[in-house]
Amino acid sequence: MREDWVVDAPIVGRDYQPPCPDQVIENVLENVLHFLTARRDRNAVSLVCKSWYRAEAYTRSELFIGNCYAVSPRRATERFRRVYSVVIKGKPRFADFSLMPVNWGAHFTPWLSALAAAYPWLEKVYLKRMSITDDDLARLSLAFPSFKELTLVCCDGFGTSGLAILASKCRQLRVLDLIEDELNDDDDDDGADWISCFPADGTCLESLSFDCIEQQINFPALESLVARSPNLKKLRLNQFVSLEQLHRLIVRASQLTHLGTGSFSPSQNLAPPPGPGGNEPDYGPAFAACKSLVCLSGFREVVPLYLPVIYPVCENLTSLNFSYANLNAQELHSVISLCHKLRTLWVLDTVRDEGLKAVGATCKDLLELRVFPIDAREDSEGFVSEVGLLAIAQGCRKLRSILYFCQRMTNAAVIAMSKNCPDLVVFRLCIMGRHRPDHVTNEPMDKGFGAIVINCKKLTRLGISGLLTDEAFAYIGKYGKLVRTLSVAFAGDSDMALKYVLQGCSNLQKLEVRDSPFGDSALFAGLQHYYNMRFFWISSCKITLQNCRQIARTLPNMVLEVFTNMPVAVQDEDEFVDTLYMYRSLAGPRNDNPSYVRIL
Amino acid sequence: MSTEERRIVVLRSSDEEIFEVDIDVASESQTIKHSIEDDDSGRVIPVPNVDGHTLAKVIEYCKKHVETPRSDDRDAQDALRAWDTEYMKIDQNTLFELILAANYLNIKGLLDLTCQTVADMIKGKSPEEIRAMFNIKNDFTPQEEEDIRKENQWAFE
Repeated sequence: MREDWVVDAPIVGRDYQPPCPDQVIENVLENVLHFLTARRDRNAVSLVCKSWYRAEAYTRSELFIGNCYAVSPRRATERFRRVYSVVIKGKPRFADFSLMPVNWGAHFTPWLSALAAAYPWLEKVYLKRMSITDDDLARLSLAFPSFKELTLVCCDGFGTSGLAILASKCRQLRVLDLIEDELNDDDDDDGADWISCFPADGTCLESLSFDCIEQQINFPALESLVARSPNLKKLRLNQFVSLEQLHRLIVRASQLTHLGTGSFSPSQNLAPPPGPGGNEPDYGPAFAACKSLVCLSGFREVVPLYLPVIYPVCENLTSLNFSYANLNAQELHSVISLCHKLRTLWVLDTVRDEGLKAVGATCKDLLELRVFPIDAREDSEGFVSEVGLLAIAQGCRKLRSILYFCQRMTNAAVIAMSKNCPDLVVFRLCIMGRHRPDHVTNEPMDKGFGAIVINCKKLTRLGISGLLTDEAFAYIGKYGKLVRTLSVAFAGDSDMALKYVLQGCSNLQKLEVRDSPFGDSALFAGLQHYYNMRFFWISSCKITLQNCRQIARTLPNMVLEVFTNMPVAVQDEDEFVDTLYMYRSLAGPRNDNPSYVRIL
Repeated sequence: MSTEERRIVVLRSSDEEIFEVDIDVASESQTIKHSIEDDDSGRVIPVPNVDGHTLAKVIEYCKKHVETPRSDDRDAQDALRAWDTEYMKIDQNTLFELILAANYLNIKGLLDLTCQTVADMIKGKSPEEIRAMFNIKNDFTPQEEEDIRKENQWAFE
């Protein structure tokens, strides 16, 4: 065992005392903690002993706030001293469906004040469903000289003038990702020309996403920006960028890995009718030159005639977002049949069951599928059914996440998916028409969802729909032990349903319920569990104000908010509350609620 | 002295074991490197805090990392990482001795490797399990512990 450079080894033994682990680790604890980034691990470490608590608080570099109202900004910044990156989430998901009144809250401003005071070295901010103003953007630009990454998902309250300030002041900006935000000045004719505001001598930009901005941008300025951003890898354009313009951009940026194509249609003022040939550039070679492209999205006004230009990049694609692309089965097939490495696919239901069969046939490594409805109304035609779901179940055995909108479904297809795709972590089935049964057997959809919770042992997120009795909920309560997020709409017969879930799903964190016949006794069933949950949303059910007050008295650290989706005060005389949104909080009831949001 | 003659450095562990080591290998340790710079008379450099068994293991690491050229080649990087993984298949006592040695001898790569190993042991564990693993005394009162647990769960998870 000894190497040849050992010259002399003593024969005499000695007293060997093994080192004390706790003392050894104590010396290098910060170095060890450097390698622990997951917040579960960090939280566990903080509970080991006092010195570990202190070391962890000093070294946590990413601060995650799951509910902006669960803790005060002051308390968070006092505990953690060297934070470089912050994630804050505000409104619950149902806000996306216009179920919350305007100006409800989730303001970034108080957080910004605390962060600016505590972390002048802050580099990254990620906000989801928060309200951030132009003023906030301006203050952020000034407060953090090393600021590098801003990601805003489903946020509102700001506009292009805020972006202009950010672009001009944050000279080290690497990431500006605006994803499904609602900007203030969308209705104005001219917003600020923020694209022109980036540093003139070159930028550090690696990712720029603005597909949600519903306004023209200054294209020559964008062209110049791309040309002087050598590190740009991700570029997601909005629908006001035409194919010719896209072409001009990607010939200068063949190093792109992620591309949002904008409209993917020729501009309107092309003299001869659109079509390959003529005086249009040859788009094919430009795409073919993007050898690193792995993710494509956009296609906001796709002209399918031009789809062949993306064929050369299909074999390397791992992610394809066609959720804005009105394509039929054949058009999808022409692309998808080349995408053998695809792991994520978002499509519109216009591709029909036929299109999904093509997906099942080719995309053997598919991990995530989302099928969105082109027409989300309850009585819409619906272009996919159990046939498509079955095709996916048969072809994509590694599937982990599915979101599927349809109008017709059967238990058999859902059961098949539960057996073929045991790795499912997320199963969200939205049968859009209310209370629709299995359309072949006319039975409720209980058995299908039951099979999902029984067979998919890793399931953490579940969205249910269709005609469902209490039996479905009994299954979920009994088998859905890992379920953290549950979404229920137009389902169940009685309060027992909710009781099964609240008493059975021990890991339940987020529960959103709407338009179901659940009343006060159901709410009481969860008293033991509410402090373990991030939030509980229940709307258009049979909850009385009286009962809400009772719960508020019983659970002093629970914040109960009662409101409607309009800026109109809740009336005491109403039989039932429109919406109850409740969440645990260390900070007590907030004081920034508008008058029409009542806090009990 | 000529450069050729100075290629070897002699190290003596806490338990009197002698190691003849190439100067580049020994210089992976910033502590030893400074020792050599301060006094290049060629005498034996004592390493009083590290026993022979551990010092041999340290030298093994330094030798490998000096011999392996820096490369952007993916395969070469993977191979070195694989070697590091094999190297770290050691018992807990050796691990802790190695941490102490890497810290004292100021060998960044080895310190990071050993700390990463400890971090990997911590991942996914509960506070109770971590305490048991490293023999750490819980000095929180029950109330203090409960308050932190609650704050962690409600605010930061």
